[in-house]
Amino acid sequence: MNGMQKLYLPQLAVIDQIVDETADTKTFTMHFDNPHYNAEFRYLSGQFVEASVLGVGEAPFGFCSNPNRTGTFAVTVRAIGRVTRAMHAMHPGDLLGIRAPLGNHFPLQEVQGYDILFVAGGIGLPPLRSLIEPMLDMREKFGRFTILYGARTPADRVYKTRLEEWAQRKDLTLLQTVDVPDETWNGPVGVVTTLFERTHIDPAATVAFTCGPPVMIRFVIQDLLAMGFPEDHIISTLERYMKCGVGKCGHCAIGHKYICVDGPVFSWRQIKKLPER
Amino acid sequence: MPIIEKWLISKTHLFERLESLSREQTVIAPVRQSDGEVSFQPIRSADEITLEYVNELHPPKRFLQPVFEPLFTFNLGGARPQLTAAPPPSPQILFGVRSCDVQGFRHMDGFFSGAFKDDLYWQRRNQTTVISMACLQPADTCFCICCNGGPYLSDGFDLQLTDLGELFLAEVGSSKGAAIVQTCDRQSAGDKEERHRQALMQACDEKMIPTAYLAKAVIAITNQRVDEKLWEEMGLECFSCGGCTHVCPCCTCFEVLDHRETEKTGLRFRCWDSCQYAGFTREASGHNPRAQSKERVKRRFYHKLSFAYIQADGHPGCVGCGRCITVCQAFGLLDMAAVVKRIRREGQMVAE
Repeated sequence: MNGMQKLYLPQLAVIDQIVDETADTKTFTMHFDNPHYNAEFRYLSGQFVEASVLGVGEAPFGFCSNPNRTGTFAVTVRAIGRVTRAMHAMHPGDLLGIRAPLGNHFPLQEVQGYDILFVAGGIGLPPLRSLIEPMLDMREKFGRFTILYGARTPADRVYKTRLEEWAQRKDLTLLQTVDVPDETWNGPVGVVTTLFERTHIDPAATVAFTCGPPVMIRFVIQDLLAMGFPEDHIISTLERYMKCGVGKCGHCAIGHKYICVDGPVFSWRQIKKLPER
Repeated sequence: MPIIEKWLISKTHLFERLESLSREQTVIAPVRQSDGEVSFQPIRSADEITLEYVNELHPPKRFLQPVFEPLFTFNLGGARPQLTAAPPPSPQILFGVRSCDVQGFRHMDGFFSGAFKDDLYWQRRNQTTVISMACLQPADTCFCICCNGGPYLSDGFDLQLTDLGELFLAEVGSSKGAAIVQTCDRQSAGDKEERHRQALMQACDEKMIPTAYLAKAVIAITNQRVDEKLWEEMGLECFSCGGCTHVCPCCTCFEVLDHRETEKTGLRFRCWDSCQYAGFTREASGHNPRAQSKERVKRRFYHKLSFAYIQADGHPGCVGCGRCITVCQAFGLLDMAAVVKRIRREGQMVAE
């Protein structure tokens, strides 16, 4: 096999499990078909895969699984375009093409000793989950641990079982809010930033990770800055239409940064310098 | 600076060599088409080659990055899908490439290198011998002297030719170039020929209308001090046809798509794309960060002229070939020469 393999030729992966998260979102757990490749495979929180439905196309998805749990990995996918709809029509045992791991990663060692704040909106929780879980594996390394999660409706929340588990834990604070409540909802109503006043945040001692719709991220960052967060203590991810995943096709460039190789993880200090946001 | 071997070789003899080499590998040379235009085409006979050309409209970058290029084929018919890498490209000689296009190749070389080296590009590149042709006559759209793109080069080619009438002055830039010269009747070139060449190049320089002073535009774009109104104006003028990027020797963006030939078989390929197309950044959700034409025009010039890119690439993303001047549908308004002039004359915000 020539060297092209590492750039554009996917590895086959078998779907082990498909979980319905919301009406339009599913989580796919999978492993590489080649046992040797699967045994060697490692990735870091914040990195992503290029997943292929052969004959349909390829699209990028952030890992949502815990990188400490080797042997399988998972992505959460909303059916919104050609490739994602084709994925939603697949079944356990079906094969996907996977190129991974791609992109940079969240800081994990660097933020030890800090309070940790997660602010997630809707389908922004999956990439953060790939960081929350390894952090909880070494919970004692961090200070206060807070997760704020907002969704449009209670049914639009992903990982409902996992949210229940987190809510039971005494060593973290999980607050959830929805824009549009239903009869099952007793919690707060409103956008995710309204949860800030219900928490105790010490901006100088905290690192914040935020992921969600662009408009949400904008308001979250605005509020965090107003609270006095240092610019490099606000970590987010940028998204763009992406094809090659290796900095060549040009689609995901913002300024001179390529989201697929220089990102997707950026601090606000880096983001604010970009000529387009 | 490497010491470059210089030889004098007979034109007829080199053409005969190219003809015999065309039995073993693809030889691509300037050929006059039936419509009168000169285009780089594979040749089988030396008679097809013309030296009566300034440059062709479609840059030879397509021989290194084809418009359509298979990445792999797939067969979904068996128990497991079979993926087969595209076959390696065969060797090729590009004869008569102009200096600006050689500089374009070097731009592509840099871009397709780095941490994620594009092996598909490099397989083709390593199989390619570039015989370049120094320019004696610029087109009225040429501005290579503003961009370090010509009219002749000191390196980057395998063999550089200067037309001295009956003879070529041949400068050897690599072992691939040396291999070709060694099979030709040749004599060592001396100071006399070198002086002749210098005089020809100076005459070419003087004939060029140097219209693209990049420096001020580089500074204004880098510091984000181009008046937003100018981008808006240019956005309204642009047809978003992508012509400028397709003919640009430095533009390399591509799309990746799957194509099914039968229900079970097909291929994944890449094909040229353009940052000037409205769909270039459109996401599956419909969200499009560069939905407006002005944002796309701005992107094109940020990539070509911002200091961040110049620092990464070592040079601006322009070689002065002037093709964008020829193809732009918004005549004379949005090519490189016009835009740097507009930024210089009217487009800079007053410093605070």
